[in-house]
Amino acid sequence: MQRLISISVGAILAAGSAAAETAITQWDQFSQSGITAAGPAMDELIATCKPALDGVSVLRTVAPSIGIRDSYRLAVSAGKTPDLAYTWPAASVLAGYARVGALAKLDKYYDQYGWPQVNEFYKGRNSYDGHIYAVPMEQDLMGVYFNRDLFAEKGISVPTTYAEFQAAAEAFKADGIVPVSFGNRDRWPATNTFSLILGLTVGLQAEQDVFFGDTAWTNAGFKQAAENFQAWASDGYFPRGFNGIGYDEANALFLSGRAAMTITGTWVLQDMIRGADKFDMGVFMMPPMADGVAAGTMWGEGSQWQLSSTTSAEGQDAAAAYLNCLLSDESRKVWVQKGHTVTIGTTPEELAEWGADPVVQEFFEGGLATTETNFYDLHTTLPESVTQVLYPELQRLVGGEASADEFLETMQAAWEVAIANGERWIP
Amino acid sequence: MPTRSAYLFLLPALLLYLTFVAIPILQIVYFSFFDWDNGIRGGFVGMDNFARLGGDRVFLAALGHNAIWVILTLAFPLMAGLLLAAILAERSNNTRRWLGAIYFMPRTIPLVVAGIIWGWIYNPLFGLLNYILDGVGLGFMAGAWLAEPSSALLSLNVVGAWTFFGFCVVIFLAAIQSIDPSLYEAAEIDGARWWRRFRDITVPLLKNSTLFLGLYAAIEAMRFFDLIWVTTQGGPGYSTEVLTTHIYKTFFLVGDFGYAAVLSVVLLIIVLSLSSITFWLLKSK
Repeated sequence: MQRLISISVGAILAAGSAAAETAITQWDQFSQSGITAAGPAMDELIATCKPALDGVSVLRTVAPSIGIRDSYRLAVSAGKTPDLAYTWPAASVLAGYARVGALAKLDKYYDQYGWPQVNEFYKGRNSYDGHIYAVPMEQDLMGVYFNRDLFAEKGISVPTTYAEFQAAAEAFKADGIVPVSFGNRDRWPATNTFSLILGLTVGLQAEQDVFFGDTAWTNAGFKQAAENFQAWASDGYFPRGFNGIGYDEANALFLSGRAAMTITGTWVLQDMIRGADKFDMGVFMMPPMADGVAAGTMWGEGSQWQLSSTTSAEGQDAAAAYLNCLLSDESRKVWVQKGHTVTIGTTPEELAEWGADPVVQEFFEGGLATTETNFYDLHTTLPESVTQVLYPELQRLVGGEASADEFLETMQAAWEVAIANGERWIP
Repeated sequence: MPTRSAYLFLLPALLLYLTFVAIPILQIVYFSFFDWDNGIRGGFVGMDNFARLGGDRVFLAALGHNAIWVILTLAFPLMAGLLLAAILAERSNNTRRWLGAIYFMPRTIPLVVAGIIWGWIYNPLFGLLNYILDGVGLGFMAGAWLAEPSSALLSLNVVGAWTFFGFCVVIFLAAIQSIDPSLYEAAEIDGARWWRRFRDITVPLLKNSTLFLGLYAAIEAMRFFDLIWVTTQGGPGYSTEVLTTHIYKTFFLVGDFGYAAVLSVVLLIIVLSLSSITFWLLKSK
């Protein structure tokens, strides 16, 4: 907070010294520690990108990554959105803001600056009604963190098929080791795990048939995915009482060496690397869980930069130039080296060249090898009204309180309401 | 004092009340008649938002959980508090003072903090409760207290009772001390034992305090939010969902301000009704 105040005061003083100077208000999640510990990198890049701002100063406010989502929604409702925000999620939620006119269209800036690293998948996730409204930056991937020492001790190889994964889980369970550390008290972690299982059970196309087409949630593939997830719980792959264990506690359980694996994303890479001081940690990509399904993983943009529609044309131009600087090759290196944040478009080779941790390289090498078949993350893709049904329903499904059929019927009902209300996002 | 001057003195409080209580309440009622998209007000929809209540199974579950919470609060902390206060009343001043302070202490802990503490106690991985049960040979009773729908609400209610119990003891204790001691002396001379004195003197003469605490507990139980949000966020599934968590999710997470306003109006009606009953009953005594 002190830092925030000093940055703001500094910026205000700077603004005061040049009477005609314009200021851009910026909300971001880059704090000094924790999941999004890229605060020092952000500070450095604001200084580096000052020339691109052409005399415009940045008034920065840091918000926690979970809270910024809610804060931004309230700001939209109050008509007080910051000029520039690095928030989440894209897709349906971003489309909702665009629909009510809260966001500026960025098509001309994409034409001007190119931003080639933003591929069609990401452009789609940041578009609404034929226009693009945000610049995604952070590359999120989902994978399996595993304890190499435990695997070696039990003579288990890294699974390359789902059957091998199941055999490994059974072997760890038989030895009294938690196969997969998992905690779902916070409600959202199950969504990520299920997103991965869903994509690896039905594949990208079958997901798109439901999310963007007319296929119902109650299809055979989705049912198989729900049953797979439920089976992991009933077969004892997860720790006892997982619906009462927090996400951080589950990570801590894995880092304590009492669990062989944990399935989560790149967003905790640095915390994991720092915490895995008792054993040799590795990462592998979960293999496909059904015949004929291509290898892939859940991916997303983590968060995206978006501009307020109420910002002046001059402010929008300056903010776009500033964003272009934040996404430059030089800046990407700073994000990786000082922000522990891998931006979209960064290659595994660059990570090696820039001295990223081997686990980081391993993760991105695996996840970026399947860009054509990587699939969606449910809770940043579905409308909020559906996500808020998904969270408790997944707790019920994985807790054995609801069958796969009941889960999918409830999801389909919520989905139909969202579509009727015009909340569905289609890229 | 002239009437006009009296009104002038009342004016600041009245203005504050109108600004921060009455107008926001009216605003919420007004909002409930409109369609909302991401916090932006749309068209007038009449009673459409209210019509959604009947088909909202989360609302019905939440209402049921609030009712269970009220019943459990009345059943345990209130009754046990009354009994303990009656026992304490016969002890020395020092004992009363010390034990009263100890019992009251949980009341001073913010519910958010209580939630964090009890979240650790109930934790399935490293929770103190399971550890103790294991230690005393009752390991078979150890459970995932907040993770199972069958035990989550009850486990949270124990925390609620823990924070409310001491308050009941202190209020009852003060009320018992105001009872004329000669009534107890006369009963003792007539050979009435402790239970008889408690049943026929203490309980009837504490009717007002019991009524006040009972309705206060009921109102508090309807407004409960922080403890549940910190520990379970209404889960697992909907097993600890209450009206306030449903309102929070609908407003802040879904952005459906119209329906959140409807839920708030329902909660307001329930709490106002309970408050009115309290005032009416206390006034009629």
